[in-house]
Amino acid sequence: MRRVLLIFIAALQLTAANAKKLEQVLDQIAKTATVMIDGDVCQKIVTPRAMEYMFRKDPRDPWVGGDNYDVDDASFIQVKKILIRLAQLADYPVDVNLWMPLGGNPPRVHVAIRNRYEMSQFWVWGALTQEMFPEMRTVLRTGKRVTVERKRGFVSVLAPVRNSLDDIVGLVEVVSRTEPDARENVK
Amino acid sequence: MICRTSTFRVHGLLALLFAGQCLALELRGLPEFFRPDPFGGIVECDRAGATWLDTVKLTAARGGYASFHLSATNGDGDMRESELSVEFPLPADIYREWFHFNAPDRRYYPDALIPVHSPYRFPIPEPDNRIPGQTAQAFWIDLWIPASTVPQMYRGQAKLVSGSGQKIVPIELTVLPAVVPEEDAVTLDNNSYGTSWLQEQHPKTLAQLEQPDGRARAAAEDQLYRLIHAYHGIFYDHRGTFHQLGYGHAGKVGPEFAPELSGAGRHKHISSWDRFDRHYAPLFDGSAFQNSRRGPRPIPYVYLPINPEWPASFVSWGEPGYQAEFVNVVSEMEKHFREKQWTSTRFEVFFNQKKRYKGFPWDGDEVRFERDNRYFVEYHRMLEAAIPPDSPVHFAMRADTSWTMARQFELLKGIVTFWVAGEGELTWYPDAVERLKQRGDTIWTYGGTPPVQSVTTGITLNPLRSWINGVEGFVRWQTVAPGPDPWFHLQGGGETLVYPGERFGVAGPLASVRLKIQRNCLQDIALLERAARAGSRKKIQQEVAAAFNGVPLAEWGNNPALRSNKPVLDWDNADIGDALRPYEARFANLEPSAWLRVRRIALAADGGGR
Repeated sequence: MRRVLLIFIAALQLTAANAKKLEQVLDQIAKTATVMIDGDVCQKIVTPRAMEYMFRKDPRDPWVGGDNYDVDDASFIQVKKILIRLAQLADYPVDVNLWMPLGGNPPRVHVAIRNRYEMSQFWVWGALTQEMFPEMRTVLRTGKRVTVERKRGFVSVLAPVRNSLDDIVGLVEVVSRTEPDARENVK
Repeated sequence: MICRTSTFRVHGLLALLFAGQCLALELRGLPEFFRPDPFGGIVECDRAGATWLDTVKLTAARGGYASFHLSATNGDGDMRESELSVEFPLPADIYREWFHFNAPDRRYYPDALIPVHSPYRFPIPEPDNRIPGQTAQAFWIDLWIPASTVPQMYRGQAKLVSGSGQKIVPIELTVLPAVVPEEDAVTLDNNSYGTSWLQEQHPKTLAQLEQPDGRARAAAEDQLYRLIHAYHGIFYDHRGTFHQLGYGHAGKVGPEFAPELSGAGRHKHISSWDRFDRHYAPLFDGSAFQNSRRGPRPIPYVYLPINPEWPASFVSWGEPGYQAEFVNVVSEMEKHFREKQWTSTRFEVFFNQKKRYKGFPWDGDEVRFERDNRYFVEYHRMLEAAIPPDSPVHFAMRADTSWTMARQFELLKGIVTFWVAGEGELTWYPDAVERLKQRGDTIWTYGGTPPVQSVTTGITLNPLRSWINGVEGFVRWQTVAPGPDPWFHLQGGGETLVYPGERFGVAGPLASVRLKIQRNCLQDIALLERAARAGSRKKIQQEVAAAFNGVPLAEWGNNPALRSNKPVLDWDNADIGDALRPYEARFANLEPSAWLRVRRIALAADGGGR
């Protein structure tokens, strides 16, 4: 019994050590992302028309926001390529997602770019916009990186994205998980 | 109660028959389109024209099925042990019908079919169905008529025996000389996404799937492949096809859907076919179906895992490296498929992603913004660079289209050759179907699945409308999602035609009443198509249309003038719904017996199939 308990404690310590190491790597990527990502380009990703439709409520057509969602290809591609390269700084699966605030009352946020492992602690599958998360609000307000472990086995580091005026206009979620799920979100 | 006491004092067969009636021990037949309920009646939406059968009389072609329901009733509601047997000279499959409590209308419907063997001992009611006041248990009977069967009348019986007596329903099947064609006139496709739903629905079977690498996981992966094959198999057995999309909206590919890749840029290549081949080889060579009554046959269609992030990484999009990665890997795929002689399956390059899911900057599915079409052109260019022009392997670019279908048909001529169009919207372009077919394209439509609370005939509408409008296939967009509690809290079942069998000790999917009815409808359409080819298509279709719902053949098409004249970007779903309403209204209020009238035409119009 004592042996089993010791093995269990050792496993927990190992998991905690792995999570700590993971967190350090993600934090380094997040720090780099803040330097590398151009907030001015990020602000051009969603087209003005799509932005208008994102807030439109139509009782006759609940999909009107999604059906009219559109992006500026060049801006999207430019930023996505940087996000992909940032993720490659780790030698295991990491996604770097771009989140942009949308204003409103209560304030909302939307993931603007997701990536190939389809990981996030915040994105609800299919959601076009979501209520602002407190951790994201902190990053947008303070400019400090925040580590989040909301979902079991996930670690995310949130870091600010600035434009040329030095305004914080968005944030990245650098995310990985200790136990990858090869089939989640394949749909 | 008085009746029960008095009848037990009488002896002999006559007395036993009376006892059966008075004790409310009953066994009665019902044509397939009239679903029994758990209380000895018929579900409300199927009642019009329903007749209980003391003798089941069927007429059918060879190489197909004839089906009916049996309802065993015990009016007392006591737990009585009974035994059902079906004695018939041809193969008879017996299924217990599960009565689902359907949340949207809080009623019970039979749908999932649990295979049982004759004789089958059971209590009435079966307690696991947990229905207060249940007095009847229903069964679905499939009679299989091999193509080699001698055309004649076959007689048998269904017998219900309990402690208080027995009831017999004679079965008479007239087998016609006609043989149902193996090929369907309309490909009925059942769509699905990924494999995570398999883990949710079959947790015991796939318990080891998330183990670290090793023997246990390899064995679990084999279980997964067997399960996938079982899903393909159940739809194949019911004259359908099965599609399983293997990637997500941001490009994540499930490990069983793609070969493993190594390297980058000019060095990117396939490093392992192991999982891919274990999954797909039995499907592409047909051996997965070796036990099917239809015989082994390669699956006719499959989605490839190709998407903007696979096999080429999007990080190189627009640069030479993207094409190098794409061409390297797709060329290797073509070579592998050719060497394996997988030349009977159409390999679909299909882009399902939508911008709203934030993975990529263009819509592959249901293009609404015209500039997105240029990506199709670019992928087609790379595909041509990867595939030798004389390859015997069939690659095709497929596009699912709705908002801008008319423009896409023209802009992507020669690029996309496989179209899956929104069924309603396509009716606004009456010339399109023939035009696409003439240039060698394939044209299917897509839509949903009628929920259990719809009249049974609803499941026949899309296949019939496809056949009449010349469309070659119909995709039910989601057919394997029964919801979190399909047994006691079904949400209509509009996204499923099968159910997981684990609850009943079946390591695979269970068919449904709706799937069986659809299969029988497809048999009939195959007969009608042969007759149409041999004679006057218009005349036969006129007869069928009149018999089905009385709507003249000319009105099975739509009026293009009803389409909105607004620019596409100003349309919304409500506009489309409004514009299609008059058309759809022609097909509302179907009678449960509508298809039985069509079947009579199909069976009479032999068309040289003897």
